[in-house]
Amino acid sequence: MANTTETGVTRREFLVRSATLAGGAFLSIGVPPSLLGGKAQAAMAATPAYQPSIWFTMTPDGITTMHIIKAEMGQHIGTAFAQIIAEELEVPWDKVRLDMPLESAENFGIYGLAYTVNSGSVTTEFDRLLRAGALGRIALTEAGAKLLGAQLANCYAETGRVTDKTSGRSIGYGEILQKVKIDRKFSYPADFRKVQLKNRSQYKIIGQSVPALDIPAKTNGQAKYGMDVFLPNMAYGALAIPRTRYASKVLSIDDSGAKKIPGYIKSVKIDDSMGKCTGWVVALAETFPAAVKASKALKIDADPGPYGKLSLADIMEEFSERSKNAQESAAWVLEGDVEKALPQADKRLEVEYTSDMVCHAFMEPINCVVQHSSNDEWHVHVGTQSTGFARMTLTGYLSKVLNKKPEELKVFVHQYLVGGGFGGKQDYDDILAAAYCVKELGRPVKLIQTRESQFATSFPRTPTFHRLRGGLKNGQLTAMNQDIVCGWMGPRFAVGKQFNNGTDWLQLDSVDGKKQDIDQWSIGGSDHWYYVPNHRVRAWNSDRTTWAVQASALRTVSNSYNMFVVESFIDECAHAAGRNPLEFRLAMLNGKGGNRGIPNTGYPAGTPSDYYMDQLWISLPWPQEDSWPLYESGTVGGALRLANCLQVAAGKAGYGSKRLPLNTGMGLAVSAAEERQSPTWVACCAEVTVDPSTGKYRVNKLTIAVDMGLAINPNNVKAQVMGSALWGTSQVMSERLTYKNGAIEQTNYHQYTPIRQVDVPDFDIELIESGRHPVGVGEPASTVVAPAVANAIFNAVGVRVRHMPITPGAVLEGLKNKKA
Amino acid sequence: MPTLTINGQSYFSDSPPDTPLLWVIREELRLTGTKFGCGMALCGACTVHIDGQAVRSCAVKLGDVGNATITTIEGLHPSDAHPVQQAWVELQVPQCGYCQSGQIMQAAALLAQNPSPSDQDIVQGMNGNLCRCATYPRIVGAVKRAAQLIKETKHG
Repeated sequence: MANTTETGVTRREFLVRSATLAGGAFLSIGVPPSLLGGKAQAAMAATPAYQPSIWFTMTPDGITTMHIIKAEMGQHIGTAFAQIIAEELEVPWDKVRLDMPLESAENFGIYGLAYTVNSGSVTTEFDRLLRAGALGRIALTEAGAKLLGAQLANCYAETGRVTDKTSGRSIGYGEILQKVKIDRKFSYPADFRKVQLKNRSQYKIIGQSVPALDIPAKTNGQAKYGMDVFLPNMAYGALAIPRTRYASKVLSIDDSGAKKIPGYIKSVKIDDSMGKCTGWVVALAETFPAAVKASKALKIDADPGPYGKLSLADIMEEFSERSKNAQESAAWVLEGDVEKALPQADKRLEVEYTSDMVCHAFMEPINCVVQHSSNDEWHVHVGTQSTGFARMTLTGYLSKVLNKKPEELKVFVHQYLVGGGFGGKQDYDDILAAAYCVKELGRPVKLIQTRESQFATSFPRTPTFHRLRGGLKNGQLTAMNQDIVCGWMGPRFAVGKQFNNGTDWLQLDSVDGKKQDIDQWSIGGSDHWYYVPNHRVRAWNSDRTTWAVQASALRTVSNSYNMFVVESFIDECAHAAGRNPLEFRLAMLNGKGGNRGIPNTGYPAGTPSDYYMDQLWISLPWPQEDSWPLYESGTVGGALRLANCLQVAAGKAGYGSKRLPLNTGMGLAVSAAEERQSPTWVACCAEVTVDPSTGKYRVNKLTIAVDMGLAINPNNVKAQVMGSALWGTSQVMSERLTYKNGAIEQTNYHQYTPIRQVDVPDFDIELIESGRHPVGVGEPASTVVAPAVANAIFNAVGVRVRHMPITPGAVLEGLKNKKA
Repeated sequence: MPTLTINGQSYFSDSPPDTPLLWVIREELRLTGTKFGCGMALCGACTVHIDGQAVRSCAVKLGDVGNATITTIEGLHPSDAHPVQQAWVELQVPQCGYCQSGQIMQAAALLAQNPSPSDQDIVQGMNGNLCRCATYPRIVGAVKRAAQLIKETKHG
């Protein structure tokens, strides 16, 4: 691992150097860690400051290893990052390797927060990865010129060699590293900014569908996930299914039955004083099957706690009631005056939408191995979306249960491949529980969730309730109000309060006079890109729901339900106005007001529409003068880019022109997930056939157009879009989690049924390379399918289902009601 | 003490006979390419070949294996170049990759029985294998490509 703790370089400088380690000389690139130790946590609060980073290491054999701080969970992010760096560094692709840095307090100071969310990896890192590669190339070119005895101006670097144009002589990168010590300082940010980057027309690796570097190992059993870690003398842990999802209390444990199981060691009641792992008892044994058997043989007496009698029906009733009390709401969008405009409309709609809970159900159940080494270090082996938060959370927990100061604890998190994340591998209860078992047992522990305990302790998407009101005047949507009641996931994460002087940085301020906390992660998506002169979104938090079900982030977070609601409702409005839903949408995707997007030079202040443009977002800070990174805002072009996608998708699908069989319809939807500040422009046209005798429907085809600015690896972008779209298909067709007496009812894949081969539709995916800044593609297309399917069902058989998932029963009921 | 024949090698296990074969393969013998997904033969992540048949190893008891020949993903081909593996790389099928060992073992068994499957045969034959990343369309394409590779090898 590159070591840059060398002194003599200030934070305003950037270092490219080679040094000698045990393995020989290497070239590393980075800036010195100025945020080490205790300062590291303070640095969290300083985000969006630029975090110094080390991106790659080159060895004298010419092999360049890219250090990938983002979790590899199916998106092939390592390959994308390596393509970006290699492009400017000019290394041959076959010499590129990947690794994943160890998470520690020290490395946090170097790399910043290791956290993979919001489809933000390429968006946030593209520009600085290019510059890091370019500076490495400059340092190598300078050293190569010297070795060749050539004028620097006559030398250039290409595919791993520095060549002197005049003599034609050249020298390889590896040879340069063998011969000289490179020690080159660049000033930051001046040299960083000034470095000449390639024009996109010069790209040789970016834009190529090179094979993903992590794929071969995923076809021969060699890929390593957290599940595949073994440590000497480790014991296995299996969780006894807690009485409720949250806040039950273990009163007593009778393990007389477990004691009869060969290999059983003991049971550990996990310390839940941090509000994590509530009601958890872990059975420890010499093998995992023995641990599972023992966990089932335990007789646990538990107080079910405050949610022991709570069920989904109670939650939905509460939501509906709560929505009637406007005083309790917080405004998220406040444009024009909805209350004034609605009575002036000549046609009004008022409808309610709901969505069910769903969970991630990733193929790899959560697991980890924790070790407390003889030199008092804590080592966690896990595949997680955030090794950074894993380390911080465990440090806090151990500090509490061991009664030590956080700075006395040495905690390290080793990252592995993640067997599916989808937003669900950013909680750390299992790591805390395993660590507690290690403390109690004095041996390393491998904790594995069975599928049953995984469902029981999943972190679901909240159920939601929406009341929509719309006002049409002369066929135009002049007023739209969306009221949203759900459990807010942000307050549960609540990490902000610990790191940001007590203010919760995950929460934004409401835009009404109350300026109260409002949870972007539960409301986002409702702030759509249609121009509606009077537009309001109000939100209510059901705190009880948040905690009772442990509401969390699920692929595109709130967009996953809000786009279903918004895009279904827009369709309803189009039909009510007697207009074609395509033309109705295009007319409103006009880029007016706040929907114009923000040019990189900043945006003109003062127009009322800027309210939702002006909010700080932790992961994608607005590019400002003097800030880093300087990348172009993904919003540039605004709603017009969405209109373009819609025209492409509708046109390719033949919306409105293709002759369709009986009971078959097409439906449209657009989305700009994930957040208002980080849009990936997507449009979908779904073709669906309904069987009117059963209500069953088949999605025949999805035509999708995505404007992601620039595709780093087009073949992989298509894979991501297809996978996301099938996730969306699964959500609308078949996923539903239910909750009764404080517990999740589904236990395995026979009761919770993600999409399988037989339901896969045909695809037509169009990638639109608009030439803008590249943005993420791992999630956004998942948001458009559900509403497009809902709208297609309406066009096929005239039934509007206002609940997700759309069950055949609901379609059938709609058909019956239509006849009646 | 049960003797197991896995990928042409003999292994011993002193686990209780009711132990799921999956855990013997994974945690005892450390052939970790075979994955745990559900424990109820619902997802296919743990698929191995027993006497050439695709079987969910989470639902097979150690004591029931007898003298059967077991093949795991690690033993599918001596240089990881089984036509199905080749096709999987060529079509860039895996995303997170966790289910893919099971998908590949299922596909290899399917092609061994039906060298020229129709799309419908593939969809039906692969329907028991869940993929949460939903790489399904590429799986179908890769099975077709593997069938083609097998034919080319035979005739070429």
